[in-house]
Amino acid sequence: MAINQEAYKELELIVGKRWISQDIAERECYRSIMAESSAHSGPYDGETPLPGAVILPGSTEEVQAIVKICNKYDIHFKACSTFWSVMGFIGDDDSLQIDMKRMKKMEFHERDQYVIVEPYCIGAVVQVEAMKRGFNVNMAGVGCSSSTLAGASSWVAFGPSSCFMGVASENFLAVEWVLPNGDLLRTGTLGSGGDWFCGEGPGPSVRAILRGAQGTAGSFGVCTRLAVRLHPWPGPTCLPTYGTVPAYKLVPTWNLKTYTLNFPDWDGYANTINFLSQNQDIAYLGHRQYNMWGRYIKLAMIKLLIEPGGQLADLPKYMADPFIKEQTEKCRIDLQVVIVGMTKRDLEWKEKAIDEILRRVGGWKNEFMLQPEVHDWVLLYLLRLGHKNLNYTLCSSYEGSGGLSNNVFVTSKVMEEYHELREEFDKTHNGLAATGGDSEMGALSTLGGGGITGYEFFQWFDRHDRESVKGCCDFIQNYSQKLCDKYGFGADMGNWNMTARHPDTGYYYTQDEQNAMFVNSPQPGLQIYQYLVKKAFNPLDLCGSYYRTLDPEYWEANHK
Amino acid sequence: MALKDFRAMMERDSYCNSCKWIPYDKIKSQRFAENCPTNLYYQFHLYSVRGKWQAGQTYLDTQEGTIGKDELIKQYPYDFNTAPEFLESVQSCMACGSCDVSCKICRFNLEPLAYNIELKNEAILRGFILPKQKKMIEALKTEQTMIPNAKKAKRQDWAKGIEFAAKTDTYFYPGCKYSYDPKLKAYAKKAAQTLIDAGVKLGYLGDLDMCCAGRAYQQGFYDEFNERADANIKAFKAKGVKTIVTPCADCYHALKRLYAARGMKVKVLHLVEYLDELIKAGKIKFTKNVNLTVTYHDPCHLGRQGEPYVAWNGKEKKIMHQVHTWDPPRPRYNGANGIYEAPRDVIKAIPGVQLVEMERIREYALCCGAGANAQLNFPELSAATASERITEANSTGADALVTACPWCEANFKNAVDENGKGIEVIDIIDLVARAL
Repeated sequence: MAINQEAYKELELIVGKRWISQDIAERECYRSIMAESSAHSGPYDGETPLPGAVILPGSTEEVQAIVKICNKYDIHFKACSTFWSVMGFIGDDDSLQIDMKRMKKMEFHERDQYVIVEPYCIGAVVQVEAMKRGFNVNMAGVGCSSSTLAGASSWVAFGPSSCFMGVASENFLAVEWVLPNGDLLRTGTLGSGGDWFCGEGPGPSVRAILRGAQGTAGSFGVCTRLAVRLHPWPGPTCLPTYGTVPAYKLVPTWNLKTYTLNFPDWDGYANTINFLSQNQDIAYLGHRQYNMWGRYIKLAMIKLLIEPGGQLADLPKYMADPFIKEQTEKCRIDLQVVIVGMTKRDLEWKEKAIDEILRRVGGWKNEFMLQPEVHDWVLLYLLRLGHKNLNYTLCSSYEGSGGLSNNVFVTSKVMEEYHELREEFDKTHNGLAATGGDSEMGALSTLGGGGITGYEFFQWFDRHDRESVKGCCDFIQNYSQKLCDKYGFGADMGNWNMTARHPDTGYYYTQDEQNAMFVNSPQPGLQIYQYLVKKAFNPLDLCGSYYRTLDPEYWEANHK
Repeated sequence: MALKDFRAMMERDSYCNSCKWIPYDKIKSQRFAENCPTNLYYQFHLYSVRGKWQAGQTYLDTQEGTIGKDELIKQYPYDFNTAPEFLESVQSCMACGSCDVSCKICRFNLEPLAYNIELKNEAILRGFILPKQKKMIEALKTEQTMIPNAKKAKRQDWAKGIEFAAKTDTYFYPGCKYSYDPKLKAYAKKAAQTLIDAGVKLGYLGDLDMCCAGRAYQQGFYDEFNERADANIKAFKAKGVKTIVTPCADCYHALKRLYAARGMKVKVLHLVEYLDELIKAGKIKFTKNVNLTVTYHDPCHLGRQGEPYVAWNGKEKKIMHQVHTWDPPRPRYNGANGIYEAPRDVIKAIPGVQLVEMERIREYALCCGAGANAQLNFPELSAATASERITEANSTGADALVTACPWCEANFKNAVDENGKGIEVIDIIDLVARAL
């Protein structure tokens, strides 16, 4: 339950008494109640194990020293900065939770267009400081409340701006990385004594190991500093707002516009995504954002959110409003885009490009979303991504399901089937918020290398209501996963995350358990390769099982 | 509500960490982006309301004896004795409400501020009372003041020489800090005299003027607050009070919001509201230039917590199977209707004064560090918070920091910024008086 006291004293010597704690309540609040987080972990009642202690290092040197103590005493550890997801929490008893909150320095290199960030630099503050200098940064879809470093180094981290700025894995340059044994690795140009401008060298390039497609989710030591690319920002140096709390809006600026594009069918939608991805200078941001609340309520939700006194109880009233009703129906298949004019002519060209795309696919701009106050609210929302907590607003918890990670022409074909599946479910079950079948969010924002798009199919449930919890589990395990299986979309996100820790206890899986889990997976080479990487970089396996591995010897002997 | 009534909120909270930041849409720099004084100081998760939502669940499980009901999930019981940091996180919270504002940007079903104060009450009920709190409560009971060692007999000294109206229904209510603090008494006098000079028939409660007990409430002393509030409400009624004007932000909040919840029907104005009205009506005329660049600090209890009370009695009602609403709709205190414009309009009306804003203002202003009596209970934390705010004030280039609350003022007057530099702290009453 508590870590070795000799080790504790040594850790205390590193950071000082003030920055380490083994108070039982302190440790308790570093447990993740898995259903509350966005970790897509079930069965929604579980909690991650209690850490043996919590420590807050203040520098890379302190992190190194901490990790070395962990190696010396065989203490499992996990570092996290903003704790949005269950994957940042420890998964074994007596482990050390490293909270990176004290490390939040930023260093801008305007000439070379990058910024070096420490772990607790959240997206909002990196963006704010970048905009002062005429730049912007790729904001991970998790929102501006999360760590820029964690998004870039450790997890998928697509975002609405990825269509212009690239996905997270394309945005980081050199990295300062405390390896699981406490050694310090400086990657890319930094590793050859140069600046941070290139992650690939000269100097060690380990992008494939550190990141890969999805990242190691903090299972490989601690990234303490990382350089991310800066992108052009021709907007104001500080986003000026108007409006009363909580309905803040962006003061209109001549070269910033947002449109909600509507389509008569999914082909038009997919073709638009295709146009925009092939002409990446048209849209500065692109995302199917507000559909996350559900097809029937999304515009009513926006209406109540732009009103300072808006309440969820207003939803039925707004849904019955004839204009909102009409526009909601027209907004069934939608995509939000932001266009940014670098010059007046550039803006005119982008406006024309959007109009031409709509003409070709038979689409239109949603009129409700063109209303000035709505426009200004949406623009601020998309640029800052400061409303992450709206993921919880309807009934306190949500789960992403659907597994629609594939080419947009493939995924868009099955959207209506997902919609109908949820509608049918809601007719006979009360566990999920019945907000309109299709609640798929994503697409253009997740377009990474290879043309893969991704979605989250939001299921809203109430963690305080056990029947609602069961309803969510039921839908994900018995309905949406079956559709994933039918089309070969791989694991539903909810189920996929359950391969990283025990869903009931929150413990990480052992290698034996992972072997049994992955021995007959369709592409075992992925887990086998990761096993070999882990053997080289993380032989003591101190940081958990989010990095899926399969022992090749076990596979040879046991696979079917 | 009792602590157990917060169970649903504890379970419905999320890991967004919004409670540690000013609203993300309002962030202007990394330096002044964080909002929670205790989390800024202690840094650990527990010292945020997010941490306390989580810790409170196991605490409650322990109290209710339900711990370990699920064999799969290991739980470890604790209370304030066995988890002293939990107790400290509860007691050190300044009840400033900044987490409440940030949370409610997106959430409709959480009440972080009410929960923080409920936890404080829970600690008191379990016998965990800090030494300075004991003295404060003793003073409240014996001398009807929040100021330890102050004597009832001296409470009216500040008012000597002022000719209050004998027959009126509008009364001046200075509050304990202005009544006793030797450095602030003069401002109470100036405030009352300014109103009288502007033609207000202003009365003073004299022997009936006693502590509002708002700061007792902030620290979770519900019983003591209720006793004092009910006595005051009775006294106001007996005296025929229809309007109260107070220069103290804490008194304002107590009277306007907490007393209203206990049935008081008196109209409550903060001095700045009345001054603003009188200036705009031409009843206060300025004759001198005050050549100063100033920045204004929004007191928590005048700003985000200064919203009017709205009576509500309802229950949760789910629509669309699981969407949370209340029937009837519940008032949503989120700082939208606090007092922000009146003090700014007063300052801007003074000839020669230029107002420059800090980054954390209005509903997302940083606390001064004196909330919930932190200046006495946790002096180091309180000083660090004041220093943080002075640093922000100095970053504006202002000559002076103006405020409309004596508790903020006193806490700032002893503080310096992170570079050891202070700033002139001016009571808004004094600023007005300088121009008359």
